[in-house]
Amino acid sequence: MTEKVRRYEKIDFLGEGQFATVYKAKDVETNKIVAVKKIKVGSRAEARDGINRTALREIKLLQELKHDNIIGLLDVFGYKSNVSLVFDFMDTDLEVIIKDSNIVLTAANIKAYMIQTLQGLDYLHFNWILHRDLKPNNLLVNSEGVLKIGDFGLAKFFGSPNRINTHQVVTRWYRAPELLYGARLYGTGIDMWAIGCILAELLLRVPFLPGESDLDQLTKIFQTLGTPTEETWQGMTELPDFIQFKPFPGMPLKHIFTAAGDDLLDLIASLLNVNPLERCTCDQALQMPYFNNKPAPTAGPKLPLPTIIKRQREERPSLKRKLLESIEGASLAKKLQF
Amino acid sequence: MAGNFWQSSHHQQWLLDKQDLIRERQHDLSVLTEEEYQKIFIFFSSMIQMIGEQLKLRQQVVATATVYFKRFYARNSLKCIDPLLLAPTTVFLASKVEEFGVISNSRLISTMGNVIKNKFSYAYSQEFPYRTNHILECEFYLLEHLDCCLIVYQPYRPLLTLIQDVGPDDQLLMLAWRIINDSLRTDVCLLYPPYQIAIGCLQIACVILQKDLKSWFAELNADMEKIQEIARYIINLYELWKKYDEKNEMPAILAKMPKPKAAPQR
Repeated sequence: MTEKVRRYEKIDFLGEGQFATVYKAKDVETNKIVAVKKIKVGSRAEARDGINRTALREIKLLQELKHDNIIGLLDVFGYKSNVSLVFDFMDTDLEVIIKDSNIVLTAANIKAYMIQTLQGLDYLHFNWILHRDLKPNNLLVNSEGVLKIGDFGLAKFFGSPNRINTHQVVTRWYRAPELLYGARLYGTGIDMWAIGCILAELLLRVPFLPGESDLDQLTKIFQTLGTPTEETWQGMTELPDFIQFKPFPGMPLKHIFTAAGDDLLDLIASLLNVNPLERCTCDQALQMPYFNNKPAPTAGPKLPLPTIIKRQREERPSLKRKLLESIEGASLAKKLQF
Repeated sequence: MAGNFWQSSHHQQWLLDKQDLIRERQHDLSVLTEEEYQKIFIFFSSMIQMIGEQLKLRQQVVATATVYFKRFYARNSLKCIDPLLLAPTTVFLASKVEEFGVISNSRLISTMGNVIKNKFSYAYSQEFPYRTNHILECEFYLLEHLDCCLIVYQPYRPLLTLIQDVGPDDQLLMLAWRIINDSLRTDVCLLYPPYQIAIGCLQIACVILQKDLKSWFAELNADMEKIQEIARYIINLYELWKKYDEKNEMPAILAKMPKPKAAPQR
């Protein structure tokens, strides 16, 4: 595994998270551009725990998963506690696209992102895996317009009734109400809720429910969607961290999403159903009229991209430029000889 | 992956052919007899089981660790890594993969010390010789030689389904469960899918308890030839166990076992 360090030539720094640093690199054996995620070693005590658990989760799950809308794990290398994972290179992600004010997202664009996300997630759920950290930043998009779900550092199997899970998952703004109420047994509904929040964010271009604390998050949810009762959500009052909220009536979705048609509002309502047992599954969502109605989803290569990436894509075929550069490079080398 | 065994790395990459096993073991079998080789694996499987018991791990973790151990040596000679180092390393990795939580390295090493002193002193007169950095280095080699395939399907879950179909029978379940544990000391986990192993173990349990489930087995629509092969492996193990004095024989076998060369002097 140690020799592999040389197989990947670092091209660019892409980003840094809590657990890892990501680089763009070239695989010198295949000339393919890849993303190398170098897991941070952390404290000395952590280093003694060997291969990082978050990295192991990604390795063990992605090794088993093969789907167009799931990020592909290409290779693993490293030494001792210093592990790097090699992934498909993805040009951008939905967070960048949503925040880019130069990009106009049409109804057809949003439908295309949603279909791809739901298909990837359906495959995960079919394999009894919860992602547990869906947010725009983890929905990666390449220059061909293919969306892939990434970052499996929190993903986990579900379905064993004896397995107690932590409720401290999912970035707060995308966290489902049952998690905020401390549920230890939960299911695919938590991922569906996050998808609902992401869809809303694609439409509004700002985070839909940006809570400032866990309590504020619940307030925002209930103010917007209405406070549930034991009748509308059976078992709610028995959840470990349940607290009674003031009964908010909620706002009509069509007042929030003024440009959305009825079919889209139906989808949002069933993704953001406060009662997890009534929230739709991926399969149910994909069967809803929204996905059969017009407009048709945009074809991948026609999806919008941030300006920087678009420019690179247009430049790529320009051989002339490359030749010029290589001539310049050659003359520079000659100069150095003197 | 509880979801899809057929598309798993276990099914697609790690069900090996008997001929491959024989070929890969050629080097070790030029030094050891087949029976001695098998005894080494029985010995280390018991050691992994013992480490698991000391650390109060679930059987699922122990089983996964044992399969990692067997998979590593299915592709490598015993001289590549000292099994005394690989055994605790498989437990270390498996407990993380199975989300049991991290066993701290110091706890693992002190447990190894105790296990050797209290349970295997007949084979090892010295203390456990490895330290944290050895385990960490070994963990990486293990991950690499497993081709990063970490999810292992075990026969326990299929067994529960089968028993449910037969009709609740705790005695039968417990015996079959223990036979599955024993099966980890044979090659069956490298050669057959877990659901077949579960059927094989259940069949042996039925014979021991004199339960006549012939018509039930006949309706299973399973490849009975394969089931018989699995049963044969396990019965051979029991026959070997009966006539084998592990405490007296093991030191000589371990002495004969191919070992890693000491690091070259520079």
